[in-house]
Amino acid sequence: MTSGTTSAEVRRRLAAAPERVFAAFADAALVARWLTPSPDIRLTVLQFDFREGGSYRFAYTLPDGVVMRVGGTYRTIARPSHIVFTWVIEPPDEHAGIESEVAVAIEPDGAGAQLVIRHSRWGRGDAVERHAEGWRGALDQLATVLAG
Amino acid sequence: MQSATQLDRTFHALADGTRRSLIHALSRGQARSAGDLGRSFRSAQPTISKHLKVLETAGLVERTVDGRFHKFRLRQQPLGKAADWIERHRAFWTGAVDQLEQLLSAEPRNE
Repeated sequence: MTSGTTSAEVRRRLAAAPERVFAAFADAALVARWLTPSPDIRLTVLQFDFREGGSYRFAYTLPDGVVMRVGGTYRTIARPSHIVFTWVIEPPDEHAGIESEVAVAIEPDGAGAQLVIRHSRWGRGDAVERHAEGWRGALDQLATVLAG
Repeated sequence: MQSATQLDRTFHALADGTRRSLIHALSRGQARSAGDLGRSFRSAQPTISKHLKVLETAGLVERTVDGRFHKFRLRQQPLGKAADWIERHRAFWTGAVDQLEQLLSAEPRNE
């Protein structure tokens, strides 16, 4: 269900109304049950302040006991269609300290919802959209370069 | 952290359309001169030189000096690092959306 390029973008049609999809992002107890890449990686919600300017902090415990911590700030919350938050992995991690941004879009689709999560490197202020455009182009370019 | 800094530079370099085009132009692996690249882009030479400098600083191209000519060649390794970051996060969110889908189908009335 990914976009087919090297883009960190995931799209999925869900058999749930946008309000329910949004709620899964907005509640700490619900987040703890799904916001992990695998049931084998346990998510502990350390901090969760779901409002614009509020922060979150998650700890992921891998099967081998290694813990990865991630934190960030909610930049935009527009119920039930948009959530934007920053995403920074804490040390020690090979990708620690890299500022990135996750943009969640939830659109009605029949009785369900279309969910698009775009995780991009760029996320500074009013340049977000322009950066996102550049980033998508960059990813396409990267795919071409790496394939060649 | 050093790896983060390198990745920051890579992403910064990739954020500009002209620089992506330059990378594309160099992606066949041949070293090319700034003048040669400038002609194929129909951009002002100082503009091309400026972008090549950014790519060089980011470690995405390397410069060799051959007499009067400066030639530029693509370095693949930093691009591979950027691809690792992308792939890691795509895998993360793909897995997470799988979990979300299960949660939503398991508890249709959960708010």
